[in-house]
Amino acid sequence: MNHEEKPSVIQVLKKATFGFISMSPMLLSIIGLVGIMQVYVTSNMIGSVFGQGMFIDTFIGTFIGAISSGNPSVSYVLGGELLEEGTSLYAVTAFMLSWVTLGIVQLPAEATALGSRFTLYRNLLSLIATIIIAIATVATVGLIK
Amino acid sequence: MKLQFKGTKFLVSVVFMYLVLFFINSEKAASALQKSSLVLLKLIPIFLAVIILTAVINYLLNPKQIVKYFGKKSGIMGWVYALLGGIISHGPMYAWYPMLQDMKSQGLRDGLIATFFYARAIKLPLLPLMIDYFGLIFTSVLSVYILVGAYLQGNLIEYLLSRKQKN
Repeated sequence: MNHEEKPSVIQVLKKATFGFISMSPMLLSIIGLVGIMQVYVTSNMIGSVFGQGMFIDTFIGTFIGAISSGNPSVSYVLGGELLEEGTSLYAVTAFMLSWVTLGIVQLPAEATALGSRFTLYRNLLSLIATIIIAIATVATVGLIK
Repeated sequence: MKLQFKGTKFLVSVVFMYLVLFFINSEKAASALQKSSLVLLKLIPIFLAVIILTAVINYLLNPKQIVKYFGKKSGIMGWVYALLGGIISHGPMYAWYPMLQDMKSQGLRDGLIATFFYARAIKLPLLPLMIDYFGLIFTSVLSVYILVGAYLQGNLIEYLLSRKQKN
């Protein structure tokens, strides 16, 4: 039997660093786009697009969350503000979920790292799951309360 | 070991985008660049953690063990690891691409990656903030649905990918 030799700590660190550095142009590109999105997609802009009814608002929330970027805590704060302004909880839930699970700016990087078919299916499934989970969560909370 | 950069064209197009924005509105472009720099600074510890974690996984697990724990026959524990990994992982999704790419090349199954990504919607350190804003019931229900959704998504993506391979 052919036993594989265990790599040294230096070897695995070097391999991991090289793997990471090879992805660095991709990561820097995403970070660059995140900065642009943070400046050009403002909270006022986000708030102004809602108010079209439960289903459409849920779709809009999902879409806005997917193009937005930043720390998830920002999405909670923004979500809280939107809720106070009268946006439906369906839309706010979808917005917060897609903020973390979908990312339009990172699609090219995901496709490069994990394959385009995987990326396409994963993002489509996440989009559908986000809408279903948002509606199911609000409906369940309504039933419990 | 030879370095092969990925996404150089993408980077060039983002740099070009910044140049165009500087011509249109230099103040906003400078602000975007500043925000990007801040994001990069915040991410450095996470990037270091990802490099170390990748090295630790490669040191402790050989490709056969990765297949055993995270491959096609990883069973229920594979899903549990993916869900837990998603919940405790920090930083943005893209910070994890290099590590997952490396593990995928060694046998990590696609379904577990999808499950890991969706489970990241639960942020343990941010749960108190979410409870404060939206209440305990909402946060609990949402968290349970996220876990179920993450598991189903992992299974569905494997079904879709395997169906495509057969065709």
